[in-house]
Amino acid sequence: MSSVEAAASAPKPTASVKLVLLGEAAVGKSSLVLRFVSNDFQENKEPTIGAAFLTQKCSLPNRTIKFEIWDTAGQERFASLAPMYYRNAQTALVVYDLTKPTSLIKARHWVNELHAQASPKIVIALVGNKLDLCTEGEGEGETSTADDDEDRRKVSTEEGRKFAEEEGLLFFETSAKTGANVRDVFLAIASKIPEEIINKRSGTGTKGRAGAGERGVDLEPRTSESNAQGCAC
Amino acid sequence: MASASSSKVPAASPNTPPDSCDVLVYGTGLVESIVAAALAWQGTNVLHLDPNPFYGGLWASLNLEELKAWTDKINSPATNDTPFSNAYLYISRNLDPRKYAIDISPHVLFTRADLLNLLIQSRVSRYLEFKPLGSFHTFEQDSFEKVPGTKEDIFTSQNLTLLTKRSLMRFMKFVVIWDETPDVWLEYKGKPISLFLKEKFNLDEPQIVELVHSIALLSSPSSPTELALDRIKRYLSSMQVYGNFPAMYSMYGSGGEIAQGFCRSAAVAGAVYRLGTKLSSFDDESGVAVLDNGEKIKVTEKLITSYGLLPSSREITRMVAVVEKDCKEWFAEGESAAIVVFPPETLDGNKYAVQALVLGSGSGQVPLGQAVWYLSTQESGEQGRKDLFLALEKMEESILRESTEDFEFDVSEEDIAYLPNGMPVVSSVRLGESLRNFTPKESLKYLLKLTYTQKVTVPPPQPGSKTIYVPAPSIDIVYDGVVTRAQAIYEGVTGTTEDFFEVDFEDEDDDATATGNPPDTSIGDVADIDDEELGDHPDFDEEVAGEMTI
Repeated sequence: MSSVEAAASAPKPTASVKLVLLGEAAVGKSSLVLRFVSNDFQENKEPTIGAAFLTQKCSLPNRTIKFEIWDTAGQERFASLAPMYYRNAQTALVVYDLTKPTSLIKARHWVNELHAQASPKIVIALVGNKLDLCTEGEGEGETSTADDDEDRRKVSTEEGRKFAEEEGLLFFETSAKTGANVRDVFLAIASKIPEEIINKRSGTGTKGRAGAGERGVDLEPRTSESNAQGCAC
Repeated sequence: MASASSSKVPAASPNTPPDSCDVLVYGTGLVESIVAAALAWQGTNVLHLDPNPFYGGLWASLNLEELKAWTDKINSPATNDTPFSNAYLYISRNLDPRKYAIDISPHVLFTRADLLNLLIQSRVSRYLEFKPLGSFHTFEQDSFEKVPGTKEDIFTSQNLTLLTKRSLMRFMKFVVIWDETPDVWLEYKGKPISLFLKEKFNLDEPQIVELVHSIALLSSPSSPTELALDRIKRYLSSMQVYGNFPAMYSMYGSGGEIAQGFCRSAAVAGAVYRLGTKLSSFDDESGVAVLDNGEKIKVTEKLITSYGLLPSSREITRMVAVVEKDCKEWFAEGESAAIVVFPPETLDGNKYAVQALVLGSGSGQVPLGQAVWYLSTQESGEQGRKDLFLALEKMEESILRESTEDFEFDVSEEDIAYLPNGMPVVSSVRLGESLRNFTPKESLKYLLKLTYTQKVTVPPPQPGSKTIYVPAPSIDIVYDGVVTRAQAIYEGVTGTTEDFFEVDFEDEDDDATATGNPPDTSIGDVADIDDEELGDHPDFDEEVAGEMTI
């Protein structure tokens, strides 16, 4: 435990990082976040009407990343995502459904949108979800958890990986249902966030993220976070 | 769990548009968006449309591509549902259209304002970033004077006589309690504020001008006394709420950006969003709305619309200029914004004040090294345009003079005053004693110029109708009246304002609280999250899983 204590006592840089979720409806965007944040999964989850703004800390050996996770709140359904959504997003999760080829086409669309609208330095992870519905857990060493012995995979690991490589994206296949690889996605993103963002030492929430050396106004003055939470890695 | 959601999820699959709704909101301007969010949180089934492919309606902030399309549209004789018209647009070549966000109805937010309270209460403020605005300049006798907005400013000002200082101090003492001391002003109710200040407080013209036009941000010296007092008090009480500035602005655009935040809040509460969708017709009797693609939507309660030809009382004139100068000379330290006011009779006989909001690149509206100037006046037609162009010219002269490198700013002994603690301070910045003696060596490069007019619309009362009209943004550079209007519309739908945004953000943050975090640093606006299993991951500090119920 001594290493844990040492990590806890040494002040690690903490950075707030905005993460946006993108992907076709029903690919499991909210479920992934739900799994990440509270290690929970809900069958037959209703379409996103909640999940607007979650925060979750991710502690790495040398720094703490505080994810501020924005869900689409359904505004993507009729192509009505606001520019506010992309703005200042340092990271994005573009999600598709391994059992639904059209969702990968949609994922390409979102990657293009991010390149056009978001910061050029944005870290994007391409995530093929619903690995539990695929019998041959390709690539990531996952064994099948499909109940009905039927492999419903329609998008090969290779196809996803190739696209990710072309676009310079992180790539994972996950199951929000079983939790397979979910934490790895967020850890990989956290590790890939450029150092300069960490060094900015932005405060809580959205404040100070815009940079340019000028202060934003904190409208809800809060007491500063009392104790840095220790890393238990 | 899911109490907020169960009734609001559209019955059809998520990709199929709903074919009915309680309330159809048409237009994503600020007022309608507040109403949409308030209704959605109250449990009303809201469908929110906008004919434009962007959010913000008549309050939008547009990139340059959108701005071009917008000017074409409002100039087209076929367009008859917008209060804007008569646009002249120049855009310099080789600008990156996406690096700009041009406000078509720019506004600033005082730190004491009902809208700010609502933003915090609704948590929409968390989607936005606000920047300080502490510089208010008045144009007088060919120079810009920084407005003495605090007692310290007055105390240290070298431009004021002792007698004037005393009168000003007396007035400032009164104005913070003006509403409790009607005996002082009641006889001036409805009468010009300038008369009141002169007769009751012996204030001189320059101080009256600053108080009325730069501090109260009113357009005419004959504005009613009680309105002006209210706004002067608001300015003073807004100082020091968040710092040494009375006002703020939202980054990347004003009302349109705030509207986006409310739309997002509405979506979180279950409202359905469709941009780029026109309403072809609405039958007030049956409540059937027909969209431009032929879809029919049954509206059971109300149509709330900000589009349509409304009766208008008068026209106002607006101008936008993007300049290749950072304009930091006008900003306070660490800020990126200023207001410059040209009072009446300072621009070749202008009847109304011209207000200019100057935003630098820190606003996120223009790239580094540039600034955007928003000018407006209540004057209409050719005279309005003339006033704005004259004001533009003065601003150009001033910024060239201020930013000329070899220009030396002489600080003589008389310009230095001392605070009670002995700290020397240079008196109010004299932005050029006389511009007339200055011949600029360079010219100012305009990257964009836009002028247009706007009708001030007055929605007719529509008793018994299913349709509620939302008026266009006012000329006022402050958001006054927006929340009141939204509440009135809300009342028109629900019959009460009692539960207006009465959202109980029930945060289940036991875990976070137990670890000593202040509860509100870790609030997630999320529904349908169960946080019983917190703490299972070795890799993560579980912090947040909030539940929002209504």
